[in-house]
Amino acid sequence: MSTPAPHVVPLFATPFGVVSLPEAQTLNPALAALFAERATAQWRDPLAPQGALTFRSRADLTDWPEEPVRQAISGMLAGVGSVAASINELGTEQFAALRVQARAWFTIVRSDGCVPPASYPNTSWLALYCVTAPAPAKARFDSGVLRMHESRPGPMFQDATHSGIRVPYRPGHYAWRPVPGQMAVFPAAITHEIAMVRAAGALVIVTARIRFVASDHQAWMPPW
Amino acid sequence: MVSAAVRLSPIFAVPLGEARLVPCERLNRELEALFLARETDEHRNPMPSHIPQEEVFESRFNLFRWPEPCVQELRKFMLDTVAETVLQASTVSAQDFTNLKFHNHTWFHVTRHAGSFVSHNHPMASWSAVYCVRVGEVPPDQPGSGLLRLFDPRPGANAYLDPGNAQLHASFRLSPLEVRLEEGQVIVFPSYVFHEVTPFYGRDTRITVATNCWFA
Repeated sequence: MSTPAPHVVPLFATPFGVVSLPEAQTLNPALAALFAERATAQWRDPLAPQGALTFRSRADLTDWPEEPVRQAISGMLAGVGSVAASINELGTEQFAALRVQARAWFTIVRSDGCVPPASYPNTSWLALYCVTAPAPAKARFDSGVLRMHESRPGPMFQDATHSGIRVPYRPGHYAWRPVPGQMAVFPAAITHEIAMVRAAGALVIVTARIRFVASDHQAWMPPW
Repeated sequence: MVSAAVRLSPIFAVPLGEARLVPCERLNRELEALFLARETDEHRNPMPSHIPQEEVFESRFNLFRWPEPCVQELRKFMLDTVAETVLQASTVSAQDFTNLKFHNHTWFHVTRHAGSFVSHNHPMASWSAVYCVRVGEVPPDQPGSGLLRLFDPRPGANAYLDPGNAQLHASFRLSPLEVRLEEGQVIVFPSYVFHEVTPFYGRDTRITVATNCWFA
């Protein structure tokens, strides 16, 4: 007796989008130069976890007047909007009417540095845009990757089929290698980190917390 | 405002056992010498569950079958602590517990500069424990070096925060627990808890022994 092909769907899927920002080739050198100049105590986020090998700025990039920053933030918000809209049943006009709230900062991760695991409350989306990235490390496949932690209740029981399960059903973390000019977009509740950079050079990224507000029936949002 | 008597309970609590071996200096120095002497391919875990790092040596999982007295002394201390944790955290009677077959996989880690261990948990086990043989240097400019970080097993519970839930008492808090292990200290936790070792930036070594336990 032949078995009919089953219909299988990813029932509790996590959206993960990758968006390329336009004109990144001219934008990124300007961003990198500006960030390098401002990687100083004056611009450092005093509340963020810091190490000697990682610099994180204050989360006020959306207020910076410099054109490269304005262009990057604009492109990032548009990209997040397109990812959010692509999985949403709201119509184009309804989506366009939403008000975007965002906070953004830059991070420089030097060799042997990392960004510890974090998630962000009161935020719907996290966007991570890559300005510059070191070359992959030969000895360390996960050098400088964005690692998103498994968030589904863990399959503590495993049988012989476990090791062969495919994405998106496979339990475990997911890694994305930052590419200059590209932006990863995923839910801000997902715990994520930047794994230790084990190559020469620095990883420079812009991270943005983003949420959408429908002004007509959701006037209040918690502080963030 | 009428004040009502409220009884507060940690309904989804995670048990964490902790014990200290006192004194531990002699045992730890013997263990350290033994482990460093056996950082060889013969004793290396041939089937690591995660991509190995050259800065972290992971032994085979048969450590507690080694006959050396220092290993057997540690075995008794660690497994007794696990057993006591199980008895305190569960309704299993001491008599029933003695009738159970107590299994374990146990190994040692030697971590050097820039070594770490990615977040993971341990399927097919009920309890895990970590014992600290050697803390290693904590550089002043890297205060987060070599921490054992246990993640909150309620993903998404902290996705909404306001002043009403942002400063919860320790047993209710919605954040990871970071443990700076001390030499001679063992902690025991459920194997479902994701945990990691943060990058170690000391110039020397951090040495731990870990065990996963299951019962039948």
